Amino acid sequence: MEETKTQTGLDIEEIRRRLRGERGQRYWRSLEEVAETPEFQQFLEDEFPNRSSLLDLDRRSFLKVMGASLALAGLSGCRFLPKEKIVPYVKAPEEVVPGKPTYYATAMPFAGSSIGLIAKAVMGRPIKLEGNESHPWSLGASDVFSQAAILTLYDPDRGTTVKNRGFVATWEEFLAEARKVLPQAKGVRLVVGDAASPTLERQLAEFQRVYPSAKIVRHEPVSRANALEGAKIALGREALPVHDFSKARVVLAVDADFLASMPGKVRYAREFAGTRRVDEKNQSLSRLYCVEPAPTPTGILADHRLPIAQADLEGFLQHVAYLVGAASQPGAANLAPESFWNGLAKDLRSAGAQAAVVVGDACTPAAHALAIAIQAKLGSVGSTVRYVAAPRPRSDLRLSALLEELESGAADAVLFLQANPVYSSGLGERLAKAIGKAKLSACFDLYETETAAACMWYLPAPHFLEDWSDARALDGTVSIVQPLVEPLHDTLSVHSLLPALMNRPSEPLAEVRKTWAVDDKTWRTWLNEGVASVPKAAEVPVPATVQAPVGRSRRVDGFEVAIRPDPTVWDGTFANNGWLQELPKPFTKLTWDNAVHLSFSAAESLKVSNGDVVRVTLGERSVEGPAWILPGLAKNTVLLHLGYGRRAGGRVAEGAGFDVYPLTSEDSPWGGVGARVEKTGKRAVLASAQMHFSMEGRDIVRMGTMEEYRRNPSLKPEHAHGEAPRDLTLYSDEEKRREQEGVQQWGMAIDLNLCMGCNACVTACQAENNIPVVGKDQVQRGREMHWIRIDHYYGPRAGDGSGDNPTHVVQPINCMQCENAPCEPVCPVAATVHSHEGLNQMVYNRCVGTRYCSNNCPYKVRRFNYLNYQFAQKNFDRKEDIPLLKLLNNPDVTVRGRGVMEKCTYCVQRINAARIEAKKKGRDIRDGEVVTACQQACPSQAIVFGDVSDPNSRVSQIKRNQRNYALLGELNTRPRTTYLARVTNPNPEIEA
Amino acid sequence: MAETLTKPHDEEPLIEGNQTYASLTETVAGVVQRQKDHPKAWFVAFVLGFGLVNVLLLSITYLVYMGIGIWGNNQPVAWSFDIINFVWWIGIGHAGTLISAILLLMRQEWRTSINRFAEAMTIFAVMCAGMYPLLHTGRPWVAYWLLPYPNILAMWPQPRSPLVWDVFAVSTYMTVSILFWYTGLVPDLATLRDRVKNRFAKVLAGMGSLGWRGSAKHWMRYEQAYIILAGLSTPLVLSVHTIVSFDFAVSILPGWQATIFPPYFVAGAVYAGFAMVLTFMIPMRRWYRIEHLVTMNHIDWMAKIMLTTGLIVFYGYIVEVFYAWYSANPYEQFMMWNRWHGPYAPAYWLLILCNGVIPQLLWSKKNRRNLKLVFAVSLVVSLGMWLERFIIIPVSLHRDFLPSSWGMYYPTIWDFGMFFGTIGFFVMMMFLFVRFIPMISIFEVRELWSRIRPQRAEVKEVEA
Repeated sequence: MEETKTQTGLDIEEIRRRLRGERGQRYWRSLEEVAETPEFQQFLEDEFPNRSSLLDLDRRSFLKVMGASLALAGLSGCRFLPKEKIVPYVKAPEEVVPGKPTYYATAMPFAGSSIGLIAKAVMGRPIKLEGNESHPWSLGASDVFSQAAILTLYDPDRGTTVKNRGFVATWEEFLAEARKVLPQAKGVRLVVGDAASPTLERQLAEFQRVYPSAKIVRHEPVSRANALEGAKIALGREALPVHDFSKARVVLAVDADFLASMPGKVRYAREFAGTRRVDEKNQSLSRLYCVEPAPTPTGILADHRLPIAQADLEGFLQHVAYLVGAASQPGAANLAPESFWNGLAKDLRSAGAQAAVVVGDACTPAAHALAIAIQAKLGSVGSTVRYVAAPRPRSDLRLSALLEELESGAADAVLFLQANPVYSSGLGERLAKAIGKAKLSACFDLYETETAAACMWYLPAPHFLEDWSDARALDGTVSIVQPLVEPLHDTLSVHSLLPALMNRPSEPLAEVRKTWAVDDKTWRTWLNEGVASVPKAAEVPVPATVQAPVGRSRRVDGFEVAIRPDPTVWDGTFANNGWLQELPKPFTKLTWDNAVHLSFSAAESLKVSNGDVVRVTLGERSVEGPAWILPGLAKNTVLLHLGYGRRAGGRVAEGAGFDVYPLTSEDSPWGGVGARVEKTGKRAVLASAQMHFSMEGRDIVRMGTMEEYRRNPSLKPEHAHGEAPRDLTLYSDEEKRREQEGVQQWGMAIDLNLCMGCNACVTACQAENNIPVVGKDQVQRGREMHWIRIDHYYGPRAGDGSGDNPTHVVQPINCMQCENAPCEPVCPVAATVHSHEGLNQMVYNRCVGTRYCSNNCPYKVRRFNYLNYQFAQKNFDRKEDIPLLKLLNNPDVTVRGRGVMEKCTYCVQRINAARIEAKKKGRDIRDGEVVTACQQACPSQAIVFGDVSDPNSRVSQIKRNQRNYALLGELNTRPRTTYLARVTNPNPEIEA
Repeated sequence: MAETLTKPHDEEPLIEGNQTYASLTETVAGVVQRQKDHPKAWFVAFVLGFGLVNVLLLSITYLVYMGIGIWGNNQPVAWSFDIINFVWWIGIGHAGTLISAILLLMRQEWRTSINRFAEAMTIFAVMCAGMYPLLHTGRPWVAYWLLPYPNILAMWPQPRSPLVWDVFAVSTYMTVSILFWYTGLVPDLATLRDRVKNRFAKVLAGMGSLGWRGSAKHWMRYEQAYIILAGLSTPLVLSVHTIVSFDFAVSILPGWQATIFPPYFVAGAVYAGFAMVLTFMIPMRRWYRIEHLVTMNHIDWMAKIMLTTGLIVFYGYIVEVFYAWYSANPYEQFMMWNRWHGPYAPAYWLLILCNGVIPQLLWSKKNRRNLKLVFAVSLVVSLGMWLERFIIIPVSLHRDFLPSSWGMYYPTIWDFGMFFGTIGFFVMMMFLFVRFIPMISIFEVRELWSRIRPQRAEVKEVEA
C-alpha cells in the first residue's frame, strides 16, 4: 500500500476527509482544487495508475483502488452509494437464511403514545410491520399509521445528511458549533414533539441540569391537553382516562372516535367488538350512543348517532350529568328529543358500572370533568374506566411564549426535536422569522420540514426502525424500540444527540439501557416480548362524587369550525407517505387532499357543490380550500383536517391540499365558533376513490335492528333473490368436486357488525402485496390499485330521510374468490385460473392485459396496471424507478409491471409459507395458521380466514351464522368471501 | 337465359349510356393508366389520410412506450374506444363481404359495379379493426399468446374465452376476404398488364395476374374458385359479427348479456358497411366520372338495404328495452334507466336519432335518389353505429352491480388520436387503391354488358 501511495502521491482518505466538511459551491471549487493538484492530475490522466501492481494485486491494494474509484464517483456529485459487486456470504451471519424472514419486536411511537409491533425482516431489510400480540395496546392488530410506517423508512425524500443553511455539512461541525454556543446562550430552548420515550425524558431532565437556562417546549399539534385539564378540574391532578370496553354494556361517545383515531383505539376496537358479536346463542349486544359534530368511524357503528355542534357538547354532557344525577343543573335539553334523553339516561343508569362515557380530545376541559363526574356517579370508574397519571411533564413554556422570547432575544438557542411548529401551529411565518434571530437554531427531524427551512441547521433523524429507544403506551406500558437495520442515511439518534450536546458522547443503546438498568436476561426478555416488565402509569384515584363545573353550550353564530387530525396523514407527520396519501379517507373516500367539509344543508344554503373553492374565515384568519359535502356533519359545522398544505417535507407532501393550521391557535387547536364560509368562484379537482354512495335499493349491505334480527335472522330483504340454488346448473360439477375432495378450501367471512372502516386492512394489504401508489391524477381517472377497499354507503336513518344524519354503512371488498368466477372463462390466455384449493389465481406472467376479466367481475375488485406505477415517488405515471423503494418489497410477492391485471390473492404467499411448514411436519395446515394481511391488521377481528371444508374451522363456524350471506349471490358466482349482516341495537324507547 | 336477366328489378339499366366493351374497359382501366390525370380531390383526400396516418403512428408509438394508461380507460371502464373502434371497423367491413358473397350467390347483378370497391373496404376496415385488439392489450408484445402455437410450455389459448373465438373469426375473415378480393382481381390485372405502357407497372401487373391468359379453361377454373370462395364467405358474413357480439353476450354484465346480440350485431354491421360504401361511392363516382357504372339505381338499392338493416337494428334497441322490463331484473332495468337518464344519456338519444329516426327518410324514393341526402344519412349512420358501441361498452361498464365501484369514462387525446388515425389509414388506403387497382371489376362489367346489351344493340343496329 505504501507503493500505491508513492505512485499516485495522493492519499484518497485525505481527500475524502477534506471533502467532508465542505459545503455547497465551496464543495465544488475545493474538489477541483483537490483534483488540480499535480498528483491528482497525474492520477486522473494516467489511464491505469496502478498498472504495475495490477498483476500482483493484493487484497489491500485492491481495496485502495476501489477507494480511488469511490473518490472518482464522488466527482459526479452523487450521494447515493456507488455500484457494488454482490458477493455471496462465505460465512453467513447467524440466523440470516435467504428466503426466511426474521421477526423482531419493536414499538412505534405515535401521537404521544405507542403501539407494540412485530417487524418482519428479510435478509436484513425490514419489509412489514404487524401488531404485537403480547403488547396490550396492539393485541396483534394495528392501524393505518403503523402499517404505513415501513414506507417512511425507505422514503427517498427523508433527510439524508446534516445541512447548514441548505448546504451539506457534518455532525461534527454541528456539534462543535453547538458546544460553542450552548454554554454561552442566554436561553436554550428545546421544542419536543409528542414523543413518549422515558429515555428522552430522562435525557431532557439531564440536559436541563447541564444547561440551567434550558427550557422544554412541548409542541403537540394534536394535543390531549383538554383531557388532562379536565382531570385536573375534577380530580385535582392531570390524568388520562383508560377505558375498558369489554365490560361496557352502554357506551356514550361524545365526539370520541375511540375505535379509529383516539390513542388506544386498537385495543378499544378489539374490546368493543367483543360486545358486538351476535349469533343464535349470544343475542345481547352492547349499545353505542354517539354524539359528534362530524361523522367518525365510531359513529358508523353507533346505534344512536346525533350530530351535535362541537360548541354544544359541553351543554349536552351537562344534561346527561343532570339526568343521571351527577349535576344539579340541567344542560342543553333542546339538543335531543325527549325520548332520546329518557332512553339514554335510563340506559346509563341501569348499566351503572357497565356504562362508559368517552369524551374526545377536542372536547373542552369542562366536558372531560363532567364525564368523570358522570362515571363516578354511575360507578363505572374502576370497571369501564380508570384514570392514570399524565405520561410526561407539561411544557415549561408555551410555544407563543417561546416566540416572544425568540423575538426579544431572551432565547437565543433553539433546538427542535421532531417538532415542526413552523408548519403545525398557528404561529407559522412569525415563528420562522423569529427563529432566524437565534444564534443557534437546529431542527432534528425525519424530513427537511418547514421548521428545518427556518433553522440554521437541519439534522436528519433516524426512523424508529433504525434506532434504539423506548416508548410508553397509553396506560404507561413500556416497550423497547428496537432497530432492525443500520441507519440508511447519515443520521444520529436523539439519544446520542442530547448526550453529545452535553459533552458526554454516548450510544443510543447504552442510553436506553441506562434508563432501565436491568440485567441482560431481563433486557433480552423485554426485547423478545416487546413489552418491558416495569410499572405502568400510576392510577389516579377518583372519589365517589366528583364536582364538575357547569357545562354550557356556546352560541354558534354563522358556522362553527371543527379541526381534526386527518384520518390518513394525521397532523402532517405522514404527509410524505404515499400509501397514506392515497388511502381513501373514511366517508368521503378522498385521496391526496383535504377539503372543507360541509353539511348537506350548509352546502344547500351556500349553493356550494363538491369542488367549489370556499374561504373559511375564523376570527381574523382565513383559509381557502375545496368544499366537499359530508352528510352526517352537524348542520353548521365545517370540518377541516390538519396535515395538508405542506410547504416542505418531501415531494409527496408538498402541494397536496391546503393548510388549516392558520386557523388554529394554542388556545383553540380544535377550531371555534363564529366562522364565515364564502364561495370564491374558483374550482378545484379532488380525487375520490368512490363516486356513488347510494345502494340504489340493491341487496348489498344487509342490516337490521336486533328486533328485526330476531324476527328474520338472515336479515335478507324481502325483495332480494339471495344466493342462487346450488343445483341450478346444466353442467355437472362432479369434476371440480373430485378435484377439491380432501383438499383444504380457503374462504373468508367478514362481520359487518364489527367493521367501522378504519382502513387498517387496506394499508396492511398494500404493504404485504407490493401494491403501488398511483398518484392523484390516476386516482381521479379511477385507477387506484388497492386490492381491498372499503365501500361506503349512505342510507336514510330510520324515520329521517334528510341528508343530515344518514346511516353509514361500510363494507370491505376484496376478491371474493368466486367458485364460479366470471373472470376465469373470459381470459383468452388462461392467466386467471382456479386452484384446487378454491383460489382464483392470477398468473401475472401469463397475463396479456385484455382486461376482459375486470369487465366481467361483478365486484370490480380487479386492478390493472395501466402504466408503470412501481417505485415512483412523484410522477407515478412515469418510470421513476427509485432504487430505495425497491428495498421495501415483499420478496414473496411478484412486483407487477405495466399491462398486467392484479387482484387479491387471499395472501397466497402466506398460505404457501404455512403449507411448507405443515408439509415438513407431515400434516395439514392448522386452523388459524394462515392469517391474511387484512385479517392480521384488523383491530376488531371482523375478518376471519380459513378452511371452509373443515366444519370445525373458525371461518366455517362463522359462516354457519344465520347472518352469513353472499354478496350478489343471485349471480351464482358462489363467492368464498361472505359477509355477516349488520345488526344494530337501538333503544326501542327512543323514537327514531 | 340472357334475355330474362337483363333488367333485374328496375326499369332503368344497370349500365347507362351508349357503351361498348372498349369504352367500359377504358373508363375503369383508364383511372389506373392515366396516373397524371387524377382529380384534385384525390390529392386532398390522400394528404388528409396520410396526415392522420402519422397521427396514428405517433399514437401507437406513445401507446407502446407508455401503456394503456394514456387512454381514458379505467376501472370499471376497462374497455372503451379500443373495443368500440374494433367493433365499428369490423362492422364496416361487412358490406363488402355481403355484396361479394351473398349478392353473388343470389345473382344480384347490380353488385358488379360496387363489389371490388366494397371488398377493398372490407380489407382495409379489417386492418384498422385488427390494430385495436392487438394494441389494446396491456402487453402487446405478448399478444401472440392468443394464437394457438406449439410451445414448450404446452400452453394453449383458453378456448372458453370469446376473445379467442374472436382471433379465429377475424383472422379467418381477413384471410378469406383477401383471397376473394384477389381472385376477383386476377383477370383485371391481366387486362392491365395488356394495356399499360409503363414497364414497371406492366411487370407488376403481370406478376399479379398469375399468368392469366383468358383461356376457357382459366375462366372455368376461375368461376369455380370464385363460387367456392363466395360459399366460404357467406357464413362469414353472419359468423364474424356474431362472434364479435359474443365478446359481450357471454359476459354477465347487464347491457352485454343479451341473446339478441348476434342478429342485431350482424344487421348493424351490414348497416354500417353500406353507410360507409355510400360515403365513399357518392363522391367517387363523380370524381372519376363513373356515374354510368354506379348509377342512381345502385345508390337507391344500397339505401334500401341500409333502411332494412337499420330497421332490424332499431328493432334490436326496442327488444333490449322490452327485455329490461320483462326480465324484472333490477340490474337490467337500471342499465336501461341509466342509458336513458344517466350521465351518458345524450349519447343514447343521439344514437336513437342517428340510427332509428333519421334513416327513416330513406322510405321515400325521391330521398333515396337525392345524393346529398343519402350521403348525409350515411354519415349519420356511421356516427350512429359508433355511438351504439359506445352505449354498449363504456355505458354498460361504468355502472354495473356495486354502486361503490361506479365510475365515469372520459376519453383522452390519445383515444381520439388512435381513432382518427385509423380513419386516416382507411382513407389513405382507399385512395391508394382507387389509384392503382381497378376500382370496378372490368370483366364483370363487360360480362354484364354482354347480357344487357343485345336488345339495345339490336335497336341501335337497326337504327344504324
